Amino acid sequence: MKKKMISALLCVSMTATLFTGCGSSKKETEAPTEAPTEAAETEAPAETEAAETEAAETAAAAVEADGAEKYPEFITVDVYDQFANYQGMQTGWFAKVVKDKFNMELNIIAPNVAGGDTIFQTRSAAGDLGDLILTDTENGKLQNLITAGLMLDMTDLLKDKDVYLNYSDAITAVNSELVKEEGVWAIPNSISSSSADTPSEGLDLTYGPYLRWDYYKEIGYPEMETLEDMLDVLKQMQDAAGTTEDGKQIYAISLFKDWDDNMMNNAKQPCCFYGYDEIGFVLAKADGSDYQSIIDSDSMYVRVLKFFFQANQMGLVDPESTSQNYDTLSTKYQNGQILYAPWPWLGQSLYNTVEHKEAGTGFMLAPINDMQIFSYGCSVTGGSTRVIGIGTKAEDPERLADFIDWLYSPEGFEIGGQANGAAGPEGLTWEMVDGKPVRTEFGVSALPNNDVEVPEEWGGGTWKDGINALNFQTLSLVDIDPNTGEAYNWQMWESTLEANVTPLDTDWQEHMGATTTLEYLEANDMVLVAPGTNFASPEENSNISTIRNQCKSSIVDYSWKMIFAADEAEFDSLLAAMQENVNGLGYEEVLAVDMENAEAQQAAREAALALSGSSDDAEDADAETTEAAETEEASEAETTEAGSEAETTEAAETEEVSEAETTEAA
Amino acid sequence: MKKETPAQKAIRKQNQPKTKKEYFLWVLPFLILVFIFSYFPLHGWIYAFYDYKAPLKLSQCEFVGLQWFKTLFGNKTQVAQLMQVMKNTFAMSLLGIATSILPVFFAMFLNEIKCKWFKTLVQTLTTLPNFISWVLVYSIAFCLFSNTGMVNTLLQNAGIITTPIKFLDSDSHTWLWMLLWNTWKGLGWGAIMYLASITSIDQELYEAARVDGAGRFSLMKNITFPALMPTFFVMLMLSIGNFLNNGMDQYYVFQNSFNKEHIQVLDLYVYNIGMTGGSLSMATAISALKSIVSVVLLTVVNWISKKTRGESII
Repeated sequence: MKKKMISALLCVSMTATLFTGCGSSKKETEAPTEAPTEAAETEAPAETEAAETEAAETAAAAVEADGAEKYPEFITVDVYDQFANYQGMQTGWFAKVVKDKFNMELNIIAPNVAGGDTIFQTRSAAGDLGDLILTDTENGKLQNLITAGLMLDMTDLLKDKDVYLNYSDAITAVNSELVKEEGVWAIPNSISSSSADTPSEGLDLTYGPYLRWDYYKEIGYPEMETLEDMLDVLKQMQDAAGTTEDGKQIYAISLFKDWDDNMMNNAKQPCCFYGYDEIGFVLAKADGSDYQSIIDSDSMYVRVLKFFFQANQMGLVDPESTSQNYDTLSTKYQNGQILYAPWPWLGQSLYNTVEHKEAGTGFMLAPINDMQIFSYGCSVTGGSTRVIGIGTKAEDPERLADFIDWLYSPEGFEIGGQANGAAGPEGLTWEMVDGKPVRTEFGVSALPNNDVEVPEEWGGGTWKDGINALNFQTLSLVDIDPNTGEAYNWQMWESTLEANVTPLDTDWQEHMGATTTLEYLEANDMVLVAPGTNFASPEENSNISTIRNQCKSSIVDYSWKMIFAADEAEFDSLLAAMQENVNGLGYEEVLAVDMENAEAQQAAREAALALSGSSDDAEDADAETTEAAETEEASEAETTEAGSEAETTEAAETEEVSEAETTEAA
Repeated sequence: MKKETPAQKAIRKQNQPKTKKEYFLWVLPFLILVFIFSYFPLHGWIYAFYDYKAPLKLSQCEFVGLQWFKTLFGNKTQVAQLMQVMKNTFAMSLLGIATSILPVFFAMFLNEIKCKWFKTLVQTLTTLPNFISWVLVYSIAFCLFSNTGMVNTLLQNAGIITTPIKFLDSDSHTWLWMLLWNTWKGLGWGAIMYLASITSIDQELYEAARVDGAGRFSLMKNITFPALMPTFFVMLMLSIGNFLNNGMDQYYVFQNSFNKEHIQVLDLYVYNIGMTGGSLSMATAISALKSIVSVVLLTVVNWISKKTRGESII
């Protein structure tokens, strides 16, 4: 009998464990969230008090620390952030600002870092994406989020807030165009008051052929008529460069695959030197004069593939290109192992340190005579491809609304937008001297994202680790900050420009006859601004999406094979194979959709341009905040009307632009 | 026949379940296990009939019937792709089955080693790779065989080659490379079963054969090998049931743009479409098809087994 009992018990316990395995997850997640809040509650007042006294001590500290009074309960906010490249709790100086002002901390959930789409699928299936939601909106995603009941209508929360009063047109435009339901569901990014044809990037654009200026100088600044001429130049530079000090081989070009999407990302960049940007499988020229299907033998994309193929034949391409990821690549840039960068925020941010610039080495724009670099114009209606909103299950929606409101305020953008190129907190990185913003000593060493210790009263840690990890740019960097009277972008400040006197800067300036990249490009008609709109491509049939995904992976795979083909014949046969393969999969159908989107986007661009034409005449008005604001208010009203017909935009930004925005101004 | 004492009878009766219900209770936990892990997940197949998009609930998605199944065979390129994937799956499974005899020989030879510590050492070293995950195996492969890896650097420094040999990012002999990795990883582990079988072979057989003047190889050939065959056949049958499930982690870590054409097995294809490509519904459709093919295969093997060996495996 005893045995029977034991076996029966065993049966029961076995089945029991089966079920506990399935059901216990909820309990587990509940418990820890409760515990820290309690603990934090007791801690919070003490800490903030200390913070307040500290703030009082440093009279310069502009950030007010009234968070704990306004919001007695300390909370942890789950931020579902499609753009973040950091996962986990926000740390360092930005965390302290958020805690002081809102008595909360940000727990960032970043699909880019871990989980990818799976995280999105599981979280949305659970009905709680996050308290704060930062997402892209392409292909009907925003509408679907709302249909699924994951996002909150913020109408009542925001109606008296500055963000709504100041940017109501931009907000209405996005919500009325992307969402069927009435309400304020999402707020667009990069809202600007500048005209649509003003480059939104700052002094350096997002794209451009950046070469190691010291080697370029060493071989005597050879002139480059067109893209292919760069091969010879790179060859000479690579020969001149040899190896790094620690014996590593220096290569002209190094590629990586992390951001491949519609096409091979690295191969798209030189297309942007000629004014093209992607929208699906179409390369659309910024002025609407040309639309190319990327797989056509005479398309810019194939030309670039050929360019890289030739570079590889000449031994200019890093053999680790096929297997490395972005992290490995960045280390190589930091070590000076690569001579070419398609983005200023890659080469310059990582290599142009103060020491390197003093030594005369660093990445600078090298001119290709026939280039016309693509630039994203400012948009008064913001960019609706990336938005911010509040989740339906948010613990304290009022506080989150206040937080969003703050992000869109001048002070919030100075601090929160630092990751994108703004200056950071006043008193720490910059101060007003004689009515002009000037970087402090700390600012000079810390900006844009250097590994510098932050003073304890500002939260401690390193500057780099404390940067706002949301990677969401609320306003436009080139707009004028009413607090300072100069642009948010510290690189555009008079004081910063005056300080650009390192041997690297002066040599470049002398050779190019201009003080900044943008000045040079504009003087030589080498920039093509795509007027800023809030266009977001509409939802497509899922059949198309399926074909698109299959074509995508085929195009990316063949692109890589083509670049590393053994000879020209193989290159051609791979190209033919790629065309046959994707056409067989139904590429034409997808292309038709993309062409339609490209044309809609162009229409939106023209509409935006026509509307800001009036403020264009008074270009100097841009400098003066008040006037600019007035003209813009008038044009904003019109934009929303026309905007609804003509769809919207910020050009189809893909992942690399997201990265671009983080470090762009560097 | 021995007669039972009343006491023995009582004990026997006590140990026997009295009713059919009790028999059922014995098997219940396992039935529940099987149901939860093998049948319950099948309800997910419903996604194959909907146009599922992530944030929406299934009820909010459109019912599309057999559309995804039709898409699979929608055009020539699609079918060609699927055929290539099936070819890879079959090729690698067949190669795997063809080499499944290797552990038998390995076990036999290992058994012949008389030096005890050396035998244990070899066995441990060959079993160990089985416990290394494929991700780590790939990092080892990467360190050794990448363009700037150890092998290429050695060869270059020795002046044997000037340009690095592309071991990983090329499509030559992909199947064989994968087979080699697989064998390296699984050989020692696969031999354990046979080593166990060897110990159960009647020692008298060996002694008798030795008396008759049989040498070492003769013993292996005529006694050990035949004795291992039944075990081998059971293992072979089991592996055929898993013909289409030849795993994806190995191929997932080794795949890149260059070798994708020949490395993409069915499971990996499903993953690439569903997870990377975001078409969950279509991926479900493919894996549902896969299950059907698996069931068909098993039935065929079972039928063959019945015809040839007179006994079925299911």
